[in-house]
Amino acid sequence: MKTFWQRFLTNPRVVCGLIWLGLVTILAIFAPLLAPSDPFAIVAEPFKTPFSEYVFGTDSLGRDMWAGLVHGARTSLLIALIATVSAVAFGTMVGGIAGYYGGFIDDILMRMTEFFQTIPSFIFAIVLVAILTPSATSIIIAIAIVSWPPIARIVRGEVLSVKGREFVQAAIIAGQSDSGILLKQVLPNTLSPLIVTGSLLVATAILVESALSFLGLGAPNLMSWGFMVGSGRSFLRDAWWLVAIPGVAILLTVLSINLVGEGLNDALNPRLRDL
Amino acid sequence: MLKFYQNLSVITATFLVVMAALLMPAAAQKKGGTMVMIVQPEPPTLASYLSTSGPIGQVAAKVYDGLLEYDMDMQPQPSLAESWNLAADGKTLTFKLRKGVIFHDGKPLTSADVQFSIMKVAKVTHPRGPNTFRSVTAVETPDPYTVILKLDQAAPYMMMAFSGYETPILPKHIFANGDLRAHPNANKPIGSGPFKFTEWKKGAYIRLDKNENYWKKGQPYLDRIVARFISDPSTRTAALEKGEAHFAAMGAVPFNDAKRLSASKNVTITTRGHELISPVAELLLNTRRAPLNNVSVRKAIAYAIDRKFVIDNIWFGYGKPATGPMSSNFAPSGLYTDKVTQYQVSDGIARANKLLDEAGFKKKADGFRFELMHDSLPYGQEWTRFGEYIAQALGKIGIKVNIRQEDVARWLKRTYTDNDFDTTANYLYNLSDPVVGVHRAISAKAIKKGRVFSNGSGWSNKRVDELFDKATVEPDLAKRGEYYAEALKIAADNIPIIWTHEMNFPTAINKKFKDVIVSPLGVYSNFDRVYTE
Repeated sequence: MKTFWQRFLTNPRVVCGLIWLGLVTILAIFAPLLAPSDPFAIVAEPFKTPFSEYVFGTDSLGRDMWAGLVHGARTSLLIALIATVSAVAFGTMVGGIAGYYGGFIDDILMRMTEFFQTIPSFIFAIVLVAILTPSATSIIIAIAIVSWPPIARIVRGEVLSVKGREFVQAAIIAGQSDSGILLKQVLPNTLSPLIVTGSLLVATAILVESALSFLGLGAPNLMSWGFMVGSGRSFLRDAWWLVAIPGVAILLTVLSINLVGEGLNDALNPRLRDL
Repeated sequence: MLKFYQNLSVITATFLVVMAALLMPAAAQKKGGTMVMIVQPEPPTLASYLSTSGPIGQVAAKVYDGLLEYDMDMQPQPSLAESWNLAADGKTLTFKLRKGVIFHDGKPLTSADVQFSIMKVAKVTHPRGPNTFRSVTAVETPDPYTVILKLDQAAPYMMMAFSGYETPILPKHIFANGDLRAHPNANKPIGSGPFKFTEWKKGAYIRLDKNENYWKKGQPYLDRIVARFISDPSTRTAALEKGEAHFAAMGAVPFNDAKRLSASKNVTITTRGHELISPVAELLLNTRRAPLNNVSVRKAIAYAIDRKFVIDNIWFGYGKPATGPMSSNFAPSGLYTDKVTQYQVSDGIARANKLLDEAGFKKKADGFRFELMHDSLPYGQEWTRFGEYIAQALGKIGIKVNIRQEDVARWLKRTYTDNDFDTTANYLYNLSDPVVGVHRAISAKAIKKGRVFSNGSGWSNKRVDELFDKATVEPDLAKRGEYYAEALKIAADNIPIIWTHEMNFPTAINKKFKDVIVSPLGVYSNFDRVYTE
């Protein structure tokens, strides 16, 4: 029987995704070294074409597109990761408590989850950011608030299926506390669907952040890919690279995350094992 | 010899007939056609007597006539008034109305309508009217075609406010009935103008049809004007390029597309037709707050901004560096001066750094002296990019600028009601006269919480207010010019607002249409002379 890593890393789609994600991560981590200047700095004439003096050209104010791309990678990834972690943490807590205690608590928590699920998520995010005024924090909060309900439902389902198993019963008899049982016995068993959903959530978060920035609701003091697409949008017919470069970066990153997420699912899902 | 004269007369007659035959079709050719104009955004109402919001006037000015029109030299021309006379003391203004003018509903226009439109409408419900007509105490109507305005003090600036855009003449028999602020005819206007209101399909278009009974015989030439609403800038450009739309003005043409449009075979671009509008862009500094209450800091900021960069790269060349709150469009009348402190200098950054060092704002370890928050004007991407530029420009002199982006309602409240900002941007129209458009930027009277587009910086100066008061009542242009020269100098020395540039809006006109911009009010004029080839 192949191990998880063997199944995961021999999947060519996963390898493609990981290579791109690795590249973007390197860009994000070493952004200040790769592009030492402020990405908002006006360094040259506006609308310089790519592969001239500046490798990706300059934008409508004469800002270096390369600097924007690497610093934008940082913002986009960071916002997406923090938002995802927050959504996963909150969703897990709600779903775990609801599934473990059941009954009245379950009813209340699940109706609340459904309430959030019925609101069109992107419009909800727009409203939240508009009310809180656009900033990195408000964008993270908005993405997390619209993303946690599916996590809660998945975790609840897993907890319900695990709860009746012998090892949990044994822990109860052994006198472990509720929180101990939930954290040590139940939640570890929900990990694999959580990892898969969480990884796909990162992709969604990047898209939401980009879409918000595109609509002018991005963090105005942070360079992000969505910001670059949004500020270049009106020049599409004259300067295609303003939109194309960050647009392709968003496309490839989201695609890569999805490939890796699917790969994780294939490798972790017991029903697909050894098929 | 007699025969020669007979021949000559025959030749002359023949010549005249031929000439007439040649000219007739030329004149006839002018008639007909539909003009599709892009109005952006869709107007909230057509009550130009209640709101001065741009799109309203662009449509309503075709339906409502004014007492006067203005030519490109800013000279008043007859319209509903055939002639007028201002008494020597400036306190009695008499209009002789044209006879035989009828409203679109067939009722005649008389002096009673004018009296109603000034005393009950302009002086009461119009946003700028109460200020413009504040000296008018009574309007007398000795006969149906004579209107006499009685003033308690001279108001020379008033002569420029009688256009159909600024002071529309409304039919009293319709608008005197019921509440003027919620009148059923607000959105079904009835005027005496060259075009009649026909239909408003919300979200799509407003249709105006030719007024067959217009008092200018043979005019208007067009059969129809359709005002279309297209919210996406690129779609507007495409519609103009393809000839689906024939006219767009006042921000309906995206600045960055103006060059592309001017190269198109269908379209010409002009910047004329804003001479009575004259918007001046400003970086508003909140002088109520430290460190912006320090004049050295304000001067440093003024030196740090490259107006040429702003005009060339944010407004794509549409603009001209400003020297103060007054537009150079007032240069011909002698009210404008550029003999004030100039901040657009080659060594601006060095001067700014020196000023800030001397004022005690030394650079700290992180390279910055202090931080400011800039609230971007939420009126489109040019202003967002302007904010981003300001942050970069001030960064160069050690001022860290963070940007905040809020919606229009919150921005208005923050700027003009709560005064809770450091810097923001805006542009104020100079309009027909400095009394209407310039005083409000810096006079003490215009510091009023909740009054939008007024003195947002909170700065005022006793001497400036005195000079403004004198200029308001002074009929002699040369003397007014002297008062303004001193006031503008004081304003530039104190620089409470950084006037970056006089804005120029590109107006796109389809080449088939002629005589479109024939007034300093441009898109806000009545289009009765527009014809197609």
